[in-house]
Amino acid sequence: MAGTLKVAEQIPAIISVKGLAKKFGSQQIWDDLNLDVYRGEVIGVVGGSGQGKSVLLRVITGLVSPDKGTISVFGRNVRELNREEKVDMESRWGVLFQDGALFSSLTVLQNIQVPMREHLDLTQSIMDDLAYLKLAMVGLPADAAHKFPSELSGGMRKRAGLARALSLDPEIVFLDEPTAGLDPIGASAFDQLIRKLQQTLDLTVYMVTHDLDSIFTVCDRVAVLADKKIVRTGTPEELRSRPLHPWIEEYFCGERARAALA
Amino acid sequence: MLKRDQGVMLPTQVTAPGYKVELRGTAFCLVATGSWTVREATALDSGLKRLRVPIPPTPDFTGQVDISGIEQLDTAGAWLLQRTARIWEGKGLRTNFAGATESFEILLEEVRLRGEEQRTEIAKSSLLSSLTQDWARAMTSVSRDAILITGFLGHLMATLSRMVAQPWRFRVTSFIHHLDHAGFRAVPIIGLICLLIGAVVMQQGVIQLRAFGAETFAVNMVAILSLREVGVLLTAIMVAGRSGSAFTAEIGSMKMREEIDAMRTLGIDPMETLVAPRILALIVVLPLLTFLGDMMCLVGGGLMAKVMLGIDTPAYLDALHSATDTRHFVAGLIKAPFAALIIGLVGCLEGLKVSGSAESLGIHVTSAVVKAIFLVIIFDAMFAMFLSAIGV
Repeated sequence: MAGTLKVAEQIPAIISVKGLAKKFGSQQIWDDLNLDVYRGEVIGVVGGSGQGKSVLLRVITGLVSPDKGTISVFGRNVRELNREEKVDMESRWGVLFQDGALFSSLTVLQNIQVPMREHLDLTQSIMDDLAYLKLAMVGLPADAAHKFPSELSGGMRKRAGLARALSLDPEIVFLDEPTAGLDPIGASAFDQLIRKLQQTLDLTVYMVTHDLDSIFTVCDRVAVLADKKIVRTGTPEELRSRPLHPWIEEYFCGERARAALA
Repeated sequence: MLKRDQGVMLPTQVTAPGYKVELRGTAFCLVATGSWTVREATALDSGLKRLRVPIPPTPDFTGQVDISGIEQLDTAGAWLLQRTARIWEGKGLRTNFAGATESFEILLEEVRLRGEEQRTEIAKSSLLSSLTQDWARAMTSVSRDAILITGFLGHLMATLSRMVAQPWRFRVTSFIHHLDHAGFRAVPIIGLICLLIGAVVMQQGVIQLRAFGAETFAVNMVAILSLREVGVLLTAIMVAGRSGSAFTAEIGSMKMREEIDAMRTLGIDPMETLVAPRILALIVVLPLLTFLGDMMCLVGGGLMAKVMLGIDTPAYLDALHSATDTRHFVAGLIKAPFAALIIGLVGCLEGLKVSGSAESLGIHVTSAVVKAIFLVIIFDAMFAMFLSAIGV
């Protein structure tokens, strides 16, 4: 914790969430939630079911509006942007949804080109070249380019979704449970891919996850959602050696965690 | 996007990208500066394509890409630089990079590796051959559908005869639920539509027949048309849209979530629990709705006759009585249970054809409605020919 604080004083946060509150019906999801994410780190957001991990991702990316609190990304308050500034900001981040969320009527190659077509004025030949490059970078074979999302396996859809999220070389990538539904080999390969891309493209990665293996292999830092707020942040090792919270203790020191570390 | 100076979070100061070729000793040098990102890619691409590849005067000349002036670099920029280097290599210039930071180097290497992977192009088929293919596919799907629906009818009949032998297998609750949903709840919409169409047909009939002074015969026309064709056809089309599509959606979403497979593993026959009650309910309900539709058509016609011809109710009833008899009414009503069977069969069969995805559910719901309406109209035409041949 002390180490993290020191870093926090030096570098301004790339994503900063302050005093967030949100209610769905009568259920208070968070009350005064605070989170800072720093440039170039991979942060894993964990928490039990129903703690609003995915909702937090949606709030930060502006898909859901909170009841209270401020969210700044790249030092700008996300909720005070006008239309052009919002579009500009959206082209600086990429989101990978749980099942890829590829457009089902477009081929993989066309899916990757959608952001380029929307936001930039590029010729078709450059878009083709860049889309093939992105396809290779996420580890998909070239013959997947002309397939439709329904013809791909779950793991390939996630990779294609990641390629689309990376289409404009964003600075932040949001991943919603990237390894959920993948077999252990596929999940571990996806973890490696995220690590590699993070280093190559100098990405900041915000990752919602359940997967202990991902946390220990990929994440620099973990933020734990419990009791309606972020109860602790720290490196996976810190949280494991000094949990200081019953949920964290159960999560990081339980049977499955020991198996993940073995 | 990689920046040369890390950690500076100022609003991105974009410097226009630039490049020039100069000779440094025995090295041709591409000096690149500014911001090489995807936003500038089109301009950079066309400029670099026009760039003449230097021809080495002697073999010991080399090429170099000096990127010490580049402030921002992303995959698009790295790809453009690597492409230029590759073209120079192809012309016999050994080309290396100079002035890269550590992170730039990692990106350039990754792009070099990935950019060399083979691509597959899709084989483009000609318009004629794709048209022919579409035709052939449509034709085979028609014959396949005919086989499927006949098989499904057989399956239903087998299930129904087993139910006759073992009456406790009949699902009363489900049957009544569908009577309510497909029948009772359809009453307002079918009543309203038939009323309006009856009125409209009467109005048009009066206007057209007035030219011959025969406007009172509009009553005969409306009476026979309503009882024989319009009542049953309108009702069947409305029910196909309302209930046929609902059957497909309900059964299809159960199929999607593997509920139907679960039923089979529990020894429950989906034909018995899902299909039979729906189709039987429809067969009971459609004649009743048709009767309602017939009556509402006649009421609509009567209202319009009063407005346009001044015929009051007793006179209208008299005219109806002399214009029609039971055979017209029966000729319309007899078609209703068959139309119900068609709508039910198509709706349930399309539902069972749904595969895992939500798109397939949407496709099958649409095709259930289209096929049901199409078949009902074909069948109605066949019935009309048959009935007139036997003189009814």
